[in-house]
This record gives sequence, C-alpha cells and structure tokens, in this order.
Amino acid sequence: MYDIKQVSQKLDSLLKGKGVQVYEHCVSESEKQELNTEKADFNLFRTIFDSGVSVTVILDGKKGSASGNDLSDEGLEKAVSDAIAGAESSMVDEANVIAEREEPETFRSGCWEADMPRFYDCLKALTDTMAKDYPKVNLMTLIGDHTRYHVYYVNSNGTRFENYSGLYEAGIEMSGSDGEKNTGLDYTGFCTKDLDTPLIEQGSVKQHLEATEKSLNSVPLPGKFEGTVIFTPDCLGQFVDMLASNYIMGGVIMNGTSQWLDRLGQQVASEKITVSLKAQDERIAKLQPFTSDGYKAENVTVIEKGVLNCFLLNLYAAKKTGKPVVKNTSFSMVIENGDTPLADMIASVDKGLIVGGFSGGEPGANGEFSGVAKNSFYVENGKIVGAVTETMINGNLEQAFKNVIAVSKEQVCDGGSVLPWLACGGIVISGK
Amino acid sequence: MIADIISPQAKHFAPGAQTVLRGHENRSRRVVLLKGSLVQNSRGESRGISARVTKNGRYGFSSVASYTEKDAEAVLKAATENALFLDQRAGAPRGTYPALPGGTVPDCRLIVDTDQKRIIEACQEIDGYICRTYPDLLSRTVVYSEDSQDKIILTSDAASGHVTYPRCYIYVMMSAESKSGAPVELFKAFGGAGSFADHFADLSAVYPGIDALHAHLMNKKEGVYAEAGSKTVILGGMMGGMLAHEAVGHTVEADLVLGGSAAGPSLHKPVASAMVNLVDFAGEAFGVPTPLPVYLDDEGTLARDAVLIKDGILAGYMNNRETAAHFGVAPQGNARAWDFNDEPLIRMRNTCILPGKSTLEDMIASIDDGYYLIDSSNGQADLTGEFMFGVSLGYEIKRGKLGRALLDTTVSGVAFEMLKTVDMLSDKVVWSSSGFCGKKQPMPVGMGGPDMRCRITIGGR
Repeated sequence: MYDIKQVSQKLDSLLKGKGVQVYEHCVSESEKQELNTEKADFNLFRTIFDSGVSVTVILDGKKGSASGNDLSDEGLEKAVSDAIAGAESSMVDEANVIAEREEPETFRSGCWEADMPRFYDCLKALTDTMAKDYPKVNLMTLIGDHTRYHVYYVNSNGTRFENYSGLYEAGIEMSGSDGEKNTGLDYTGFCTKDLDTPLIEQGSVKQHLEATEKSLNSVPLPGKFEGTVIFTPDCLGQFVDMLASNYIMGGVIMNGTSQWLDRLGQQVASEKITVSLKAQDERIAKLQPFTSDGYKAENVTVIEKGVLNCFLLNLYAAKKTGKPVVKNTSFSMVIENGDTPLADMIASVDKGLIVGGFSGGEPGANGEFSGVAKNSFYVENGKIVGAVTETMINGNLEQAFKNVIAVSKEQVCDGGSVLPWLACGGIVISGK
Repeated sequence: MIADIISPQAKHFAPGAQTVLRGHENRSRRVVLLKGSLVQNSRGESRGISARVTKNGRYGFSSVASYTEKDAEAVLKAATENALFLDQRAGAPRGTYPALPGGTVPDCRLIVDTDQKRIIEACQEIDGYICRTYPDLLSRTVVYSEDSQDKIILTSDAASGHVTYPRCYIYVMMSAESKSGAPVELFKAFGGAGSFADHFADLSAVYPGIDALHAHLMNKKEGVYAEAGSKTVILGGMMGGMLAHEAVGHTVEADLVLGGSAAGPSLHKPVASAMVNLVDFAGEAFGVPTPLPVYLDDEGTLARDAVLIKDGILAGYMNNRETAAHFGVAPQGNARAWDFNDEPLIRMRNTCILPGKSTLEDMIASIDDGYYLIDSSNGQADLTGEFMFGVSLGYEIKRGKLGRALLDTTVSGVAFEMLKTVDMLSDKVVWSSSGFCGKKQPMPVGMGGPDMRCRITIGGR
C-alpha cells in the first residue's frame, strides 16, 4: 500500500522538475471484496487491491494524458513522461485549460470498513427469502461487493481534493422458470451505505421479483396501435440517458448534431418534467464530491419544469462551445415525482404498456427510437392484462417527453438515483 | 512484454487445491479527432497479478495492482483464504473438475508500441483526407483505439503459457444533413489483430473504405423509413455475425444455459434450417488465423473450436472447466478474463456462421420485395433468444434489384425461430472484430457470417 498523498507530492516534483507549469493529476487506491453466487450457492469470493494514477499536462495549449496503476517511482516517471510526450505530439487548442483554483477540501462518505461476515449473512438472507417467497424466480447470479476508494486530486492552480468513500453494492440477474415455461433475463441492482435494511427492501428488488414471476405467462401482443407507455423507474433511467446522449451531452453539442443546440432556456419537454444531477442528496449513497476536471460538484437542474437549463458540458466542451461548464459529471440523477399514485396512473390507461426495459438501437440524431419492450405488461381499460413478448415500441424521444400524461407520486431510490414512473402518450406499440 | 516472474511461483501453490496464477498487463492507446479538434489523447497501462484457488469446488480469488514475486505469493495466500471462507460457510462441497493435459504455450506475437505522435499524425492525415474530399459533411470523427493483453498463465493441473492479444482500429464516423434537416450518421472500423504498423503503415489502403462509407452516407441522406412488419431480407455478413454472437452465442454459453436459456432444452434438436452451421473458432478458421486468435484460456485449457450448430442441429455449448465437467464434455478454451483483476468467465472467441454456395447477386435477384441489411449499430439478445439489432445501413430490394437506402431501423425476432427461415447463404464470410462483448467484464471478440436470406421482423411506425 502507498501513501497516496506522498505519491501525489512526487508527481508534483516530477512535473515541476520537467518544467511543466499547467497540469492535473489524480492518484487512487481501492479495495474491493466481492461475493458471488451461482443459483443461490456462494461459489466465488474475490479480494481486489487496485490503484490508479492519471496525469494530464498542457504545454503551450497542447494537451497529453497518461494513466496506469503502477504507483512505484518508475511507474510515476513513466506516466509523467508519457503525458509530456503526448502533449508535445498534440495540437494547440485554446480550449485546453485546467479548472481555476477551488478551496482544498477532504470529503468522506459511506462506510469505510467492510463487515464481510455480516454482508455474507445479508446476501444469504436475500437468497433464502427469494427461494421461499418467489419460488418460480431463478436466481442466476447475485454479486455483492464492498468497495472503498481513497482518491487524491491535484491541479497546478492549487486545487487539492481528497475523498474517502465506501459502499456496499449488489447486482441480481434473474429469470422466471416454471416447468417448460421460461422468461427472459431481468436485472436489478442497488448500493447502500449500511446493512440495516434487509436487502430485499432495497431499490426495486421486490418489483423485479414480482414482475419476473408474472412474466411466466407472457404472450405475443397481436396488432399495432398508438397508446400510452408507462416507463418503470429503471426504464425511465434508460430513456433519460438516451435523451441526454442525443440532445444534451458535450459530444453532440460540439459536433453540432444535437437538435437542441439553440434551445437553451426554452421548453423542450412537458412542464411535469424536472431532471437534476445531485452532488448532495440524503437519498443517494453514491455521490461524486468533485468532477473529473477539478470542480467541487454542485447540484445541477438540467431540465426544470420542461425548460432546458444547461447542456452537460465538461470544461473542454464548455470552452470549445463558449457555453458554461457544468460542475457535475456524475450519474446521480433525480427526477421529481408528480402527484399521481401509480395505481391511478395504470387505471387511467385505455390501451398501452408498462415497460420495464428497452432493448433498442441507439436513436438516430433525429430522436427516433425503435426497439423491443422487455419485461413489459399489456394494460387495457385500466387493468393489467398480462406480460407480453416480441412487442416493439417506436416513437420520438423529444415527443415522448413532451407527451407526458403523468408522473407518479412514488419514486424508487436504488442508492444511485431517485426516479418515478412516467406515463407518455403517442407511442406506437406493435406486436408480432 | 511482461517479464516472467510467475513460473517460479508453483512452489507456493496450496496442496490439494486447483490453482491458476496469472500475470497480466493491459495497454490502451486512444486518440479522438472531432471535426479536426483533438478531443482525446491518452495512453494507459494496467498491470497486476491474480490468483484463483479452488477448494471443494468453491473459488477464492485475489489480485493486486503490482508485479513482484512477493505480490504473487500474497495473492495466492489471500485467494486461498477466500476459498476457505466460502468452504466453511456455504454448505456441502460443490463438484470439482478433472485435471487437463499440461504443456506450455509459448508467446508468439509481439506487442509493438507506436509513438503517440505517429498515431496522431495518422488520424490527422485521415481527417485531412475526409475534410478535403468531402467538405459537405455535417460532422466527422476519427478515432484511433488500441488495446492489448499480455498474460502469463501458470496452473496446477492444466496447461500454462505466455499469450498476447494486440489489436488496433481506426474508426471513421461521418454525419450529413438529410432532406428533412435531421442528421444521418454512419461509421466504419478499419484494422484488426496486431499493432499499428500491421494495419496503418500505408493509409492509402484505408481511403477506398472511406469513399465507400461516404457513398453510403449520401444514399442514406436521401433514405426512406423501412416498412414495419415481417419481411424477407438478406442479412449482410456483419449482421449475420451479430446474430451469431448475440442471439445464438450467448444462449449457448453454458453458464447461461444453466441459468435457463432457450438452448437448455434444445440440445441435439433442430434449431435452424439444415444449411446453418455455427462454430466458435479458436486460433484458425477456413485455413487462416481467426480475427482474434486464442490459443490458451485463463484456466489453462488449450483452445479448440467449439461446434455449436451442425446442419441445423444444436450440437454443443461453450464451457469453462466447471460447466464442462457438469455436462460431461471436454472444455474448449472459452474461459477468459479481461483485466488482471478479473476472474475468467465463459466468453466467445470468433463466432461465425459458415458460408453456403449462393452468390450475393443471385440472392438479391431472388427477392421481389424486401431489404438488404448490411450493417448494425448495436445488438442485444435475451436468454429466450429474443434479439434486437439496430440497423445503420441497408437498402430496399425491389424486383430483384437494390433500391433506395434506409434510414436507421431495427430488426427483431427469436433466434431459433428466425434461423429456421434461412434458405440461402452466400459463399463469402465477412468478419468484424472491433467491438467489445459485455458480460460483467468487457472482452474483445470476433464475429462473422455470410449474407443470409431469411424472414425477420422490421421495426418502425
């Protein structure tokens, strides 16, 4: 194990010794302990000690970066030399800058010490409960880990950020099985700071188990119609990611393919939609205290009551486009809830689907999406009729978020995000 | 190449346990030019040692991000302790698996490093060519991406060896404004297994591919939406490779078979038309090296081809040592790990539908109203074999001739139903190898196939 503050000081000395004036570097160490099951039988226990170093230098407007996991003197020397060589080979670009100075700060979150015997017992309790209460759910794999990170970030403007964090995380792969009948794959996961809550109560574990059992009697949906889709919180997360990739992220703003280039401050979605990225939120265990380009993270409301407040631009993309930098590069997303109970939302659907997952091609730049509705249920006259297979949904991302009928009162928090159910009209639903 | 400090460590293997010790280094090189601006310019290395110790069928694993003999001894000790932790808590012993033939696989390929400056110059040269030749584009991106794995594998009861897996690619992405004002995009990968000089010493070899990509993009600019519904199509080799990998390959990975995949009840039963044969190739296919050759896996199994579908009958699965023992077959070298801190999982290598005897021209001429679907943007499949592929490049077929280009669409179906509709296969195989397969860990894989005439469901409004 290394003292990563000392490693960081060595990097400062190396860079200054080579005449580099503008730079940033980040040194980290982590320890992961991971338990794996196969069919509810614990078959693998992993302990992983890892480390990382990344160095970025800017020489007369030319930038180079190098990374590795060797924190020895030779490893640091190589990382610095590679970054300098990269910069010397690079091109002058006025957007190559580092963040201005921020006040040095140390952050701590989660639980630093792992209690693996207790975590083993919690995971065992989860597998036992699943076997007892959901006998038709086939637990394919359960992976639970505790990982702790110690990270030290420095830039040549004097910013010094240190972060200690530790979390338990779990991921569950499952399918339904009943004699000759089998369902497709379903997945859910969560993270948590402590083990006080039974794991089956975390995130949307119960909803997934219930949906998987109910999916055993799925049938293809005949015909094609335009209807209402209720996106579950997990699926809504997928769609908001697609929305961001298509219209808001730095890449599509820099290359000019976003259809929202000139829409800052304008209504781009229903006024029922408010999307934020959080730096502080008591509901979220996995928070990023500082950004990858050296800013202390802030809460950022990206879309507020349907109005586009900002693009998700890091420092380079901000300089390149002349727009403001966004001081949050995390996925700690919150979508504000509405005032419609989920039961009422379902009851109001004449004809549509509850969609638990989307298996689709990446939408084109025009926002058109098309793909298979996974883990989904047909709703008619306000009642859930049954699970469907081989059913596709088609629509346009922007239109879908404009045609919002209701946002649920309930939200699901999986430790990384807080999301509601969302009902959207005008989606084309086609069966076999 | 990493130095061999691993081989002398056999003396530290715990008696009575099955042990694999792996020294492992991954390298990455990446350069991204977006509209001529260098938006990424990075190099990375990760190196370490891992040990996996099996006690009564339960695995203990440990790894450390450093590379000394002392580290090797430490991870062996930690992995043994982890195996004992499970053995003491998790109940009855699990089944064990038999020893395999030993032997040593020698290192056979060098990982040649290239100056970052040369890589950037190559990207600039290609970007310059595109910019000069095609000033009408809305956007252009040139990406150089290289990754390599260098592994020394030492086992207690199987083969050992030193293996390397270098590969590098240049991706070209172009977008243009369609007649409706919305952008349309296409991309193409150039390169393959080996180092920079193997593929990009002479960049003029890349330009015809860029010209073809631009021609397709100009067609797509004027493209139309595909008509939704069940259609007769020709899936191009890239699409066939995606089908082989996503929709069939994953369902016949033995861990997913045990998890309830559609292939479980289908072994030795018809799952495709009798003309369909599917093989996961290891080191060679059709008399030449595979796109990403594998000679020894990370459990010490010497790699052999895995025949998955023979004459339309599901013939077998892909296994690791544990699942091979479960099914009573010999493992064929599919257990692979991506990084030094990853445990080996059952992974595909070079999965390919074998060619037939038709020509593409005859296949197109045989269709009155359908589509030729050439390239895919992405694909996903389920345990049930239900699949979805994004189609980024395709054309109408009208009265036996290619027609207008298609805008982005998707196709879907259930693999073992759709494969039964295959009635023509072309005589040429197209491979791709530039992507990663995702299954807990990323993994480079090759996939390929001939043009294939079949019925498939097209998505759309």
